[in-house]
Amino acid sequence: MGTDRYAYASRLRRMDPVAKILFCALVLGVCLCCGGIAPGLATLLMMGLLSVFWGGVPGKVFLKFLTVPLAFLALGCLTIVVNAHPQGTPVLAGLSVGSQVWGITRDSAFQGLAILSKSLGAISAMYFLALNTPMTDVTLGLQRLKVPQLMIELMDLIYRFIFVLWDTAAAIRTAQDSRLGYTGFRRSISSLGSLSSMVFLRAWNKADAIYSALESRGYTGSLATMAQTYQPGKTCYLIAPAVGFVQLLCCWLEVRYFG
Amino acid sequence: MAEYAIEARDLVYTYEDGTKALNGISFRAEAGKITGILGSNGAGKSTLFLNLNGVRTPSSGQVLLSGEPVTFNKQGLRRLRKEVGIVFQDPDNQLFSADVYRDISFGAVNLGLPPEEVRRRVEWAMEKTGVTALRDKPTHALSYGQKKRVAIAGVLVMEPRVIILDEPTAGLDPQGVSDIMHLLTQIRDQMGISILVSTHDMDIVPLYCDYTYLLCDGGMKAAGTPEELFSHPELLRENHLRLPRIAHLMEILRDKDGLDTEIWVSTIAQARREIKRMMEKSKE
Repeated sequence: MGTDRYAYASRLRRMDPVAKILFCALVLGVCLCCGGIAPGLATLLMMGLLSVFWGGVPGKVFLKFLTVPLAFLALGCLTIVVNAHPQGTPVLAGLSVGSQVWGITRDSAFQGLAILSKSLGAISAMYFLALNTPMTDVTLGLQRLKVPQLMIELMDLIYRFIFVLWDTAAAIRTAQDSRLGYTGFRRSISSLGSLSSMVFLRAWNKADAIYSALESRGYTGSLATMAQTYQPGKTCYLIAPAVGFVQLLCCWLEVRYFG
Repeated sequence: MAEYAIEARDLVYTYEDGTKALNGISFRAEAGKITGILGSNGAGKSTLFLNLNGVRTPSSGQVLLSGEPVTFNKQGLRRLRKEVGIVFQDPDNQLFSADVYRDISFGAVNLGLPPEEVRRRVEWAMEKTGVTALRDKPTHALSYGQKKRVAIAGVLVMEPRVIILDEPTAGLDPQGVSDIMHLLTQIRDQMGISILVSTHDMDIVPLYCDYTYLLCDGGMKAAGTPEELFSHPELLRENHLRLPRIAHLMEILRDKDGLDTEIWVSTIAQARREIKRMMEKSKE
């Protein structure tokens, strides 16, 4: 499902998740703090290249994942780029409607592009983490970074049982479908309703069963486990400042020469 | 005199709604043997197992570990859960982590062992159950049979004296069934762990059970070696079970065709010997 499949195949799979999380957080933070167009694009380029050449994620896969939020981004940017202005405002392109001009000005175009590039940069940093770190390692890393235990355990359990409940839901759906439960709109709605309540009930029963199973293995209130050993994330700690430096440099250059 | 790994005396368990699931059960499982609990659906097998591991506390009666009565207080429960491991029927109810290695480590970590010891045990359990190659896979990418093995590894790390398996062969393909049976006999022979299995797959009972109990409506109806139990087919049928196919064939040959067969013959090897014996006899 989603990014996890690639994370398990990544060359950085066995690297210390703490290093990868800190790297991602630093790049993300710098990207969000820098204004302008260049830092975002630089982040996108660097994180994309690192994912592909360092992590071994296929380039096509990285691009495919980038397109996922694209429609959402385009819509968001469009509302920023296109605005109503009083007649006479210099616009790059526009349409005169009554006493106003609906169009794109130089400023709004810049603002739109800046937000687009910043979003893509931020997303690429997140993708670097997601495509190179399985979910269980992410939660383990967060745990080592002192995120409250309760949240970590919830994340772990939710993640595991997404798959279990998904299978349950799929099985119920097939059973309904095979008895013509999804012919027609009304019937589909009613079948979907009973599916939802069944999945809820199953989840409830499952929780009971899991609790018994955990207790039988000595559960006393904390899901303490031991992970495999990881390779130290030295390279990550070396690359992180370099990437951050390039981001800041891009920001400075842009302000210096185009600001 | 035989040593008994786990024993129940007059065990009674009543659910909150008043249903009496266990009705004064007494039985004992010999150390280093595989003991089968045969019973139809709803006979009380699962409830019994939860009582033997202390997940449920019996309303009355006693559980004995190696002859010593278990107290159901915090300390007693800890010891009971360390010594008695359960492998549940549906591995999806048992595997709570999406990471195979971490799931297996859970029981060992709960025992408060030092990290090196936990690692040693996890490696050992993975090797014994043949899941070492799955260590880097997420739990949801495993097949049903693989999940079952991981669940067994998760119990083995606690190095229990008794392992209880609820319907270990249910839902597996024939190869999976014989793999699990092979694993169980290995656990018994190499590690000397006593095994308690519940099943209603009658054909495999004579292949790996050393001793069997017949459970029905929360009470033990009969006990004996598989051969002894199969000598009373009417008892099995009364309790929604049946003879193994081979034993059934032998019964028909004896009752309908008047052949001089032994009724307890219930495996292919036994049947082969029995048929050869009859052929020799008819030659004379």
